[in-house]
Amino acid sequence: MSHDGTIVAQKIRKSFGPKTVLKDINLEIASGEICCIIGPSGSGKSTILRCINGLETVDSGVLKVNGEDFGYYETATAYHALPPKKLAEQRTRVGMVFQSFNLFPNMTAHENVMSGPVLVKHADKKQSAKRAHELLASVGLAGFGDYYPAQLSGGQQQRVAIARSLAMDPEIMLFDEPTSALDPEKVGEVLAVMKDLAKKGMTMVVVTHEMGFAREVADSLVFMDDGYIIERGDAREVLSNPQEPRTRSFLEKVL
Amino acid sequence: MGSIDAALKPRLRLRTRAEYAGWIFSILAGIGILTSVLTNPNFKWHVVGKYFFAESILRGLMLTIFLTVASMALGTLLGLALAVMRSSHVKPVSIAAGLYITLFRGTPVLVQLIFWFNISALYPDLRIGIPFTDIGMAVDTNAIMGPITAALVGLTLNEAAYMAEIIRGGFSSVGKGQIEAADSLGMSAGTRMRKVIIPQAMPSIIPATGNQVIGMFKGTSLVSVLGVAELLQSAQLIYARTYETIPLLIVASLWYLVMTLLLSYPQSKLEQKYSRATSRLPRKAKPVVLTDPEGAAR
Ligand SMILES: Nc1ncnc2c1ncn2[C@@H]1O[C@H](COP(=O)(O)OP(=O)(O)OP(=O)(O)O)[C@@H](O)[C@H]1O
Ligand SMILES: [Mg+2]
Repeated sequence: MSHDGTIVAQKIRKSFGPKTVLKDINLEIASGEICCIIGPSGSGKSTILRCINGLETVDSGVLKVNGEDFGYYETATAYHALPPKKLAEQRTRVGMVFQSFNLFPNMTAHENVMSGPVLVKHADKKQSAKRAHELLASVGLAGFGDYYPAQLSGGQQQRVAIARSLAMDPEIMLFDEPTSALDPEKVGEVLAVMKDLAKKGMTMVVVTHEMGFAREVADSLVFMDDGYIIERGDAREVLSNPQEPRTRSFLEKVL
Repeated sequence: MGSIDAALKPRLRLRTRAEYAGWIFSILAGIGILTSVLTNPNFKWHVVGKYFFAESILRGLMLTIFLTVASMALGTLLGLALAVMRSSHVKPVSIAAGLYITLFRGTPVLVQLIFWFNISALYPDLRIGIPFTDIGMAVDTNAIMGPITAALVGLTLNEAAYMAEIIRGGFSSVGKGQIEAADSLGMSAGTRMRKVIIPQAMPSIIPATGNQVIGMFKGTSLVSVLGVAELLQSAQLIYARTYETIPLLIVASLWYLVMTLLLSYPQSKLEQKYSRATSRLPRKAKPVVLTDPEGAAR
């Protein structure tokens, strides 16, 4: 499959029952772009990420991921849901890293990293094992392959989770507050892995409260409030000189 | 105050008067029951000994074991299917499974067993085929539904309802994050079930299933009403002849007890196996040996 790594959202709406969580979201993310999303709790940041990898479906609007309509195919009159197999295929091209790691506790770190290639792509076991070794080493966890998640610290678990996503060779990586559940001294080790990844040209969308990371690594910054994108621009510019009053008051609170 | 260093004095547990009373009562009651059981000639222990390894009793035991294993295995498989159906997003499928579970858990097994034995009164012959067409075949129900088949069908269908609830409980103990992680990797529903949900549900399913096996083992005695010569019925057949009712019930009970005790061993092994992933010790690491301070001083 061809490399794309772009995300296009036009007029996205999403409700949970009577509550509209995303209202008219328009967003374009280029291949290789590092985009940080910030905003107050409940503004819909997680929901956007979850739509981009199919954990939620959007109610209306256009959502193209890697250049394809995501989860649906378009006809003259409607969007029709894709069969599960097709959706799964699209999902393998988008990695997701969760706040709570969500490693499989019944598998070792090594098995976790191998789980995608072997169980989903039915790749060769030997090659996947070798690749898993390399990936664990690349996130600084060489020698931890035989540990179960319960035997690893939060920072180590999150790095295994990142390696697990990378094993699928996704074009896009989504991070939902990847360091929020970590002790302060473990935050750095996870951010270091993410910075590494950013240098390699991966498209990354990162929901985060780490303004330092946004300033240092991000190309663009999105500020969300109440289901709308209030402001979007160059990360350092928005952080130092926000144009919207709502962005300004939010940044004053968190910085 | 005293001859030994206060810091080294042993600390003694509080013993209440109720504890002493409990000891005395239990010992007296134990001695009383034991002497009564051993000295009352009506227990006829020599008869118990005579029949304990009798061929018909052992054959009955084998049939009991067979019924337990077969209906547990089939019931678990069917229960798994029902649990998957019950958690389905397709409403009619989920409702159908729910109705099955309600029906089979809500009526006595004994009634179900007699019902299946007499099913031919309802359907004299069984037709397998496509509705509203002539395609298919028919067989005489009585030819299929002998006592053992009725016993198997009854026990299996009933067990499936209980196992379905146990398995579904296990499924729901697996966190939502696990399902999302599997989905975001693009896992199919089947793989997700086999590799993520079931292994994690096992620690809560296994102990409950162990109880079900033990319950089933004793529950098979109900099929004696269908004239199936399992353990209890085999004992009954003998005392119907010899009138040694109590000794033969003791023979059967001892066998039930022995088997129940034997079954609890593999159950505890399985429990240990499935709790491995949650233990904090690395699989390859040796357990930590705490150094003995006195030994070090020597
Ligand atoms: N599955 C759901 N069902 C109902 N409401 C939901 C669901 N998921 C999210 N919501 C609601 O949608 C709103 C936005 O949620 P979302 O998780 O996207 O916020 P967020 O910006 O990520 O917040 P936080 O910073 O606290 O993680 C919240 O009000 C939340 O209660
Ligand atoms: Mg969130």
